[in-house]
Amino acid sequence: MVIASEAGPSKSGREKEGSPEEKDDRTFECNICLDTAKDAVVSMCGHLFCWPCLHQWLDTRPTRQVCPVCKAAISEDKVIPLYGRGSTKQEDPRNKVPPRPPGQRTEPENNGGFPGFGFGDGGFHMSFGIGAFPFGFVTSSFNFGDHHHQRPAHGAGRGMALLDEDPFVSKIFLWVAAIFIMWLFYA
Amino acid sequence: MQSLKAGHLDASRWERRLQKELMSLMKEPPPGVEVDGDQAEQNLSLWTVHMKGAEGTLYEGESFQLQFKFSPKYPFDSPEVTFIGSNIPVHPHVYSNGHICLSILTDDWSPALSVQSVCLSIVSMLSSCKEKKRPPDNSFYVKTCNKNPKKTKWWYHDDSV
Ligand SMILES: [Zn+2]
Ligand SMILES: [Zn+2]
Repeated sequence: MVIASEAGPSKSGREKEGSPEEKDDRTFECNICLDTAKDAVVSMCGHLFCWPCLHQWLDTRPTRQVCPVCKAAISEDKVIPLYGRGSTKQEDPRNKVPPRPPGQRTEPENNGGFPGFGFGDGGFHMSFGIGAFPFGFVTSSFNFGDHHHQRPAHGAGRGMALLDEDPFVSKIFLWVAAIFIMWLFYA
Repeated sequence: MQSLKAGHLDASRWERRLQKELMSLMKEPPPGVEVDGDQAEQNLSLWTVHMKGAEGTLYEGESFQLQFKFSPKYPFDSPEVTFIGSNIPVHPHVYSNGHICLSILTDDWSPALSVQSVCLSIVSMLSSCKEKKRPPDNSFYVKTCNKNPKKTKWWYHDDSV
């Protein structure tokens, strides 16, 4: 009977597996595909999955949505996406369907400061003010479901135009603005 | 989108998960459990696992063979697990055709489970047995059941054995 207790589910043998480095890698493995979690989400009970993997599981048993690891209740709108530093890069679009649920974020206290031109972290910010635009584009409230470009808003709503979208849209806008300025000069 | 609708990992991820499981099972098998690695490598969707009855239990000294069949929907879909070969353990939850009445193989399956955890559950199921006997409905079941135990509507009434 000693054997029986040893073979119990509480001791799955995981504790003693692999070298320390190997163990470290495993910490961020999806509990379903066993690969490093892609488009990672974490459940309220703390278990890590790829979003596509978890979504497939929830789809498989729509009437009984439980965490695959601990059987706690789980649902699509209660998982938290994880954004690591490298997660702004483009990813295989197949993995984006369906879109990961958005992170919930509240705006911090407005701490002001002109954001200027930002060319950092993979995205493209463009900020400019022209008298001909008497209104501000407040874009921080837009959410196009593209979570790879989320970042804190930069004092939006202070009378300056602010764009915080994906590079393509920014570029189009730049061209429109340039044409408009040229038109102002030559008209 | 298509692969998601079909409800399975794409082929390479399905393969990768099974490869990972196979590697870890060969590298660190639970006591008394041994997977036939060559066979599994030839056909990843069909594994044979050799299992020894644990010491100090009614099955000490016996050895059994388990067959695992993985559908393309694995791990969202549970594997089909049966005892095969000449020695089918005599146990209240094991039918003489090798079918096993174990809830994690159907209703309580989760994609976080693995071949290893299924093996451990079966070892533990055998180890806690107090009397070697077949399920009461064995002869009727064996005559009428589908070849695939997952097609059986199991009624899990007794969690203690
Ligand atoms: Zn995954
Ligand atoms: Zn959990």
